[in-house]
Amino acid sequence: MTQPYLKPLPQRLPENEEFWAGLEAGEFRVPKCNNCGYWHWIPYPACRNCLSTDQAWTPTSGKGTVFSYTVVHRGPGGFRDDVPYVLAMVEFPEGPRNPIVLGTMVDVDPDAVHTGMPVKVVYEEIPGEGVTIWHFAPDS
Amino acid sequence: MSFPQRKAAIVGVYNTKQARMLEGTPWTLALEAIQGALDDAGLKHSDIDGLSSMMYDASLTAQQMWVEQLGGRPMTYTSHGIAGALVTKAAAAIAAGLTNVVCIYFGNAGMRAGPSKQRAAQEQVPVVRKAPRVPDWDFNIHGAYMSAWYALWTRRYMDQFNAPYENLAEYPVIARYHATLNPASIMGERGEITVQDVIDSPMISSPLHRLDCSLDNDGGYAILVASAEVAKNCRKDPVWVLGGGEGIYTDFYMSFTNDWINDNGQSVRKASEIAFGNSGISRDEIDVTGMYDCFPITMARNIEEMGFCKLGEGHEFIKEGHLKLGGKLPTNTDGGMLSHSHCGNPSGMQVVEVVKQLRGECDARQVKDAKIGAVLSQGYAVHGVAGVAILGKD
Repeated sequence: MTQPYLKPLPQRLPENEEFWAGLEAGEFRVPKCNNCGYWHWIPYPACRNCLSTDQAWTPTSGKGTVFSYTVVHRGPGGFRDDVPYVLAMVEFPEGPRNPIVLGTMVDVDPDAVHTGMPVKVVYEEIPGEGVTIWHFAPDS
Repeated sequence: MSFPQRKAAIVGVYNTKQARMLEGTPWTLALEAIQGALDDAGLKHSDIDGLSSMMYDASLTAQQMWVEQLGGRPMTYTSHGIAGALVTKAAAAIAAGLTNVVCIYFGNAGMRAGPSKQRAAQEQVPVVRKAPRVPDWDFNIHGAYMSAWYALWTRRYMDQFNAPYENLAEYPVIARYHATLNPASIMGERGEITVQDVIDSPMISSPLHRLDCSLDNDGGYAILVASAEVAKNCRKDPVWVLGGGEGIYTDFYMSFTNDWINDNGQSVRKASEIAFGNSGISRDEIDVTGMYDCFPITMARNIEEMGFCKLGEGHEFIKEGHLKLGGKLPTNTDGGMLSHSHCGNPSGMQVVEVVKQLRGECDARQVKDAKIGAVLSQGYAVHGVAGVAILGKD
């Protein structure tokens, strides 16, 4: 029998529904301002640049580069038995205020991770929880 | 714009015992600290007419309950934030006639900030057998926690500036040395350490080892800021608030600015520039400092953003030993958060230590003839929140 997933999961709030639906569709969508064209992470109800509320959940390329990373050897809570695992901050190319997104890295040798490494978003559907979450994997 | 001079002073400070798992509650530890600070100042609880909480649940309602606790009569000022900024804002409010004696207070018992806190929560998970739900952008979904966050920051800094880890690992060595001279510190009795000891301690989240990480313990402290009128009748010499500033930016470890380390600086730079500007004190005049030092990278960035060295040179400044007693900028002489105490919201203790230094109460760790000190409190998204106070004695 598969172990239940016991790590924290997002509440999936109604105002972020297009984001979570995007992950299910294999897209990493972020708010893009229709007024000034800025892409944003994390989402806020108004554009940080021009304060317009005319933002649309827009698919990113789903690709980026490692901005920083760490190999976690002491994990909290449900991550305790996952160590060592790689946590990365990934910079997306969608400028001018490039989103930097936190996530774990999968399908990678921890020793091979480096700043500037090209990565792509990968998606994990959590069985029985009604939510898909994101990770990063090397983009070769 | 100059800060109102000689209008407000720190007149009382107190740290409770700092240790893992103290008896009591956050309330009783804060109360003990307030009583200690009142005794230090020679004031009564009924003299307090302003409150600045550093408690995590510092709602308006919680402040009202403390007003009731401290005498049950109306007070005239409340504020929240972090210590350096609270001292500054209290002094400004006193100069403006809003209040006469402001009490800044904190207590914590049984709370953990590190992974042990989440492990305790995990122990309840098998009963529930269900994944806990958290806010949508919460870092806990990704297995992040404080040490991992600061590891990410450390790695970025090392890569951006070609900074050797070994330079940063000199900081825990300095902090421990200071702690050995402070009988109240948690780690002092374990003796001095070397850079090799830091490297040999268990890896927590690369490149950070256990000895790079803050303590995680209980404790309380209180600080009393009073008008010049009140201060002249207090037990000890006043430590004047010469200037200060506050900076606030970025949310709770959920997003990052791009570029993270930049020429314009963020909250710490902003608060420092205001503080050195309104106090009229130059960086060369600072005899002793207390700076938030939850990890070595924090110290490296502190001294850069405060203007004690250039961007990217903080690791060399640490390596050269300037922060050590006897150096040109003795800092965190109590042992800081790595070796004295990290009681959950510890930044008030940097104020306490600098006040004791300026009063000449630090015995073996006393900075000779210390007259002007600087305090930097900061926290949240790595320099997201900053408070600077410049303090001086006559």
